[in-house]
Amino acid sequence: MIEALLQVVLNGAASGGVYALVALGYTLVFSVLGVINFAQGALFSVGGYLTYLLMGGKIGVNGALPGWGLPAGLPFALALLLAAAGSGLIGLLVERLAFAPLRRRNAEPLLALITSLGAGVVLVNLLQLLMGAEGYAFPPSTNALAGLPAVLVIGGARIRTIQLLLLLISAAAVLALSLWLERSKGGRALRAVAEDATTAQLLGIHSEAMVRLAFFLSGALAGLGGGLIGVSVSLPGPYFGIGYGLKGLAVLVLGGLGSVPGAIAGGLLMGLAEALVPSAASGWRDALAFAILFAVLLLRPSGLLGRRTVEKV
Amino acid sequence: MIDNGLLVQMLLGALLGLSVYLPLAAGQLSLATPAFYAVGGTLAALLSTRWSALGATATGGFPLPSLLLELALGGLLAGLLALLVGRLVLRLQGIYLAIATIALVEIVRVAILNLPFTGGAVGIFAIPQPFASAAGYLLPALALLALAGWLCQRLDAMPLGRAMAAIRDDELAASCMGIDTTRVKLTAFVLSAVLAGSTGALAAHFLNTWNARQGTFDASITTLAFVILGGSRTWLGPVVGGLLLTALPELLRPVGDVRLVLFGLVILLGPVVAPQGLITPGLLERLGGRGKEAKP
Repeated sequence: MIEALLQVVLNGAASGGVYALVALGYTLVFSVLGVINFAQGALFSVGGYLTYLLMGGKIGVNGALPGWGLPAGLPFALALLLAAAGSGLIGLLVERLAFAPLRRRNAEPLLALITSLGAGVVLVNLLQLLMGAEGYAFPPSTNALAGLPAVLVIGGARIRTIQLLLLLISAAAVLALSLWLERSKGGRALRAVAEDATTAQLLGIHSEAMVRLAFFLSGALAGLGGGLIGVSVSLPGPYFGIGYGLKGLAVLVLGGLGSVPGAIAGGLLMGLAEALVPSAASGWRDALAFAILFAVLLLRPSGLLGRRTVEKV
Repeated sequence: MIDNGLLVQMLLGALLGLSVYLPLAAGQLSLATPAFYAVGGTLAALLSTRWSALGATATGGFPLPSLLLELALGGLLAGLLALLVGRLVLRLQGIYLAIATIALVEIVRVAILNLPFTGGAVGIFAIPQPFASAAGYLLPALALLALAGWLCQRLDAMPLGRAMAAIRDDELAASCMGIDTTRVKLTAFVLSAVLAGSTGALAAHFLNTWNARQGTFDASITTLAFVILGGSRTWLGPVVGGLLLTALPELLRPVGDVRLVLFGLVILLGPVVAPQGLITPGLLERLGGRGKEAKP
């Protein structure tokens, strides 16, 4: 009984960690610009595929270059890191194309919603062109991560090593980011811009650079999540990130828009709640996040709107 | 290049564009249209395949009055759902409302996928056909669009439409003027749902099969793009946006797999190039002005 519970909690925490990564990505951009980057789900997909390619995976028969792949695969840790950085760079590109032109014109925030979604559509379909619509499983070598067995037995509970790694890596990323935001000069500058861009600029902070930094980090977090999920489950197709992007959105609201601890707590809560859904009702699991979101929005809208960030549409 | 089937799809796109436009005309960014579209379509698919009293024939035919009844029922059910949900979600503002309506779309999608009587992932198929060919659907789709367009045009001259415009410009000021903002927003939301529900009922017959993929987050975005790219200040904008953007992926078919990338680029660059959308009140005024000058 205890073992089963431990198993559920660890599984839930592992997927919760990934939700927290995605939600933190939204949070970074939202706190700086007050807009939501809807390309986040696509960047999640990009991270998954980049990790796959960097680890030596080959492009399938429906892709643009069937059978093509790197001559030698990188180790998991390095591939994941590079894939996150790559997604971060694409996040920067999304900022250039979808957000910067609107910002320069002081356009309605609603428009950024559309342009970022457009960027997401472009990314996902480019992935589909390049990699095909088929699913990919990671090379079997990833099962023997760091020489650990594929399944660990902890206190009687059988846990897949990769799940545990997923939890540890996302926890480490979340912790590092929170500490950086809280303590470092760069993090303070970012928070200053989030508070008031004009004042921050007057104080000598390069606001535009901070916006770009937020987009880079946000893309990197999504890419990290995509890589982790890809390795632990598989890549079911270019659209797989969209679902995670949507759940990240639910987590974002659950925790309160723009709140870093909220995103982390919300992610864990969502992961645990999903893990508790009995397998007989697993089809309904995908609706749970949104049902919770709905309930929270309705029961405590004032609590969520605590920070005055509401804009007129 | 544009056959009757595509024309019907374009008209359905225009109808969904209007459904997104209505709440937006009252300043409410609702992405719930695909949820109501899915509800209407599922109801029509269920009724016509399960309820023999509607008169589906063994050869897959379907009487026209039954179709009209389904359009009404689809709109009614969607409207009732909107009345229920709207009371709750319309307290939310801006991006919170948008996210809550995305949540509604996802809940409806998962429900249709998992309910015991909606056919799971395959969905409901062999939905009976009231018309022998796609061309037959042109008339009901056009009639529905004409009705919706007429309503939107009338709104500009009605207290309801003016109250909606007032809320869009400044909700606080509108409520200070004595406008019952909750009721106006709810009315716009319900109208939007009725339109989407009826459109779904028609689409279910037209498409012949119906499943959970008909109302997804993707559709939320595309339908919103209809309004934003077409122009959200007059009802003609979403109509034009819906017609063009539904046709675009089909017209791009010759370029092959790149077409969805190009479609994405249009959505990405459209608001940058034309922040007001294609059809703006200014443009209509100029067109109208030129029309008058042309007369001797």
